[in-house]
Amino acid sequence: MARNRAISQHLSCCHVCYKLAPVESHHCPRCGAGLHPRKPESTQRTLALLITATLLYIPANIFPIMITEQFGNALPSTILGGVILLIDLGSIPIAAVIFIASVMVPVGKLISLYYLCWCAHRQDEFGARSRSVMYRITEFVGKWSMVDVFVVSILVALVSLGGVISIRPGIAAIAFAGVVLVTMVAADSFDPRLLWDREETAEE
Amino acid sequence: MDKIETAFAGMGDSGAHADIAETHIACLSCDTLIDISGLAHGERAKCPVCGDLLTEYRDDGVSRVVAFSVAAVILLAMACAYPFLSFKSAGLESVTTLPGTVIALYDYGMADLAFLVGSFIIAVPLLVLLLLLLLCTPLVTQRRAPWMIPVGRIVFALQHWCMVDVFLIGVIVSLVKIAAMATVVLGISFFAYAGFAICFTMAMASLDRLQFWLLVERLMRDQARG
Repeated sequence: MARNRAISQHLSCCHVCYKLAPVESHHCPRCGAGLHPRKPESTQRTLALLITATLLYIPANIFPIMITEQFGNALPSTILGGVILLIDLGSIPIAAVIFIASVMVPVGKLISLYYLCWCAHRQDEFGARSRSVMYRITEFVGKWSMVDVFVVSILVALVSLGGVISIRPGIAAIAFAGVVLVTMVAADSFDPRLLWDREETAEE
Repeated sequence: MDKIETAFAGMGDSGAHADIAETHIACLSCDTLIDISGLAHGERAKCPVCGDLLTEYRDDGVSRVVAFSVAAVILLAMACAYPFLSFKSAGLESVTTLPGTVIALYDYGMADLAFLVGSFIIAVPLLVLLLLLLLCTPLVTQRRAPWMIPVGRIVFALQHWCMVDVFLIGVIVSLVKIAAMATVVLGISFFAYAGFAICFTMAMASLDRLQFWLLVERLMRDQARG
C-alpha cells in the first residue's frame, strides 16, 4: 500500500503540538517551536549520547552505590552486589525488581538504541513496524531504571541512627543517574521515522 | 481510510495544503498522514501503519485535568508537611520527611544527585501541575491569555521528566529491603504521596497533547476574530 507521508506532501509535523506546516517554514504556526521534517542529525546525536551512557555505565557498576555502616564497620555494596545480597536474604521479588530496573532495562535500552541506529543507517525493507514498537518500548521504560537511585536516597535519609547504623550514598549512584538521564535524552533524540524512510526508498 | 482518499483527490490546487493541515496529523513514528477530524467522545485515533496512539478525544478533557491537578497539588502539599517514614531499631528512632530524602543526599555531599532526585519527585511534577492549571484557566473561562502558548510548551517539555510513579515503586522496594533490619512505620505523608502519584498519573493520562493544542488554537483564533 502506498502511504501518504507528510514529507512527500512537503509538510513537516511540529514535535510539540503536532501541527502540520509546509517544509519551508522554520517555526510552527501554532506554537512557535522550531520545525524540521526530521530531527536534525538524529542518528549522530543518538550515537554520541549512547556512547556517553555506555561509558558511564562502567563506573556505575564498579563503584559502590551505597555504603552501610553498622557499629563502625563500613560495608560498600555495588548494584549487582545488592541484588545478590537480596537473593541471599530470600527476597527474590525485590531482587528481581532491582535486577530488571538496574541491569536489564539500561542494558536493553542501550542495545536496542544501538540496533535502531544501525537499522536507520542501512537499507532495509522489512520489520519497520516491529522496530517502531521496539522504539516505543525503549522510550517508555526509560525512567523506570531510576528506581535504584530513589531506593538509595530513601535509605540514606531513613537509616541514620547515630553510631549504630547509617547508610551513605556511593559514587555509583550519580553515575547511574547519569546513565538513566543520558539514555532518556538519547531515546528522545532518535527519530523513528528514519526506520520507515528507508522502507519507502527501497520500494521506489 | 475513505476520508484520506477524498482529501487527497483534490491535491494540486493551492488550497489543498491548508485543508490537510486542518484535518490531518502526521504520525510521529512513521510520518503517515492521518485524518483525525470528527473524533467522537472517548474515541482514539491509532496509526494504521505503525500502531502508535495519536490522540484521544474527550469532551471533558480539560475538566478532568483540572480536577486531578488540584487534587494532586493538595496531596503533594500534605506529603511534604507530614512525616514520611520512621525507622526504629535498638530503642532508637529516626523519622524522615519527603524533602528530607533530598536534604540527606545534599548533606552527604551529593548536591548534584540531590538536585536530580528533588526535581524528579517534587519540583518538576509540582511545576507541571501549576503550569497546567495556569494553562487550563483561560480554557475554562474562554478568555484568551498571552501566556497560553509559552506555558503549553513548557508543560509538554517537562511532562517527560516527572518520575512520581517510579519513586513510589522505589519506596516500596526500600521498605521491603529494610523490613528485616528494623521496624518501619508508614507516615501520613506516605499515603498522601501514594494518592498524589495516582492523581498525577490520572491528570497526565487525561492530558492529550493534540486536543489541548487544538483548544488553545481555537480560543486564540476566536478571540482574534471577535
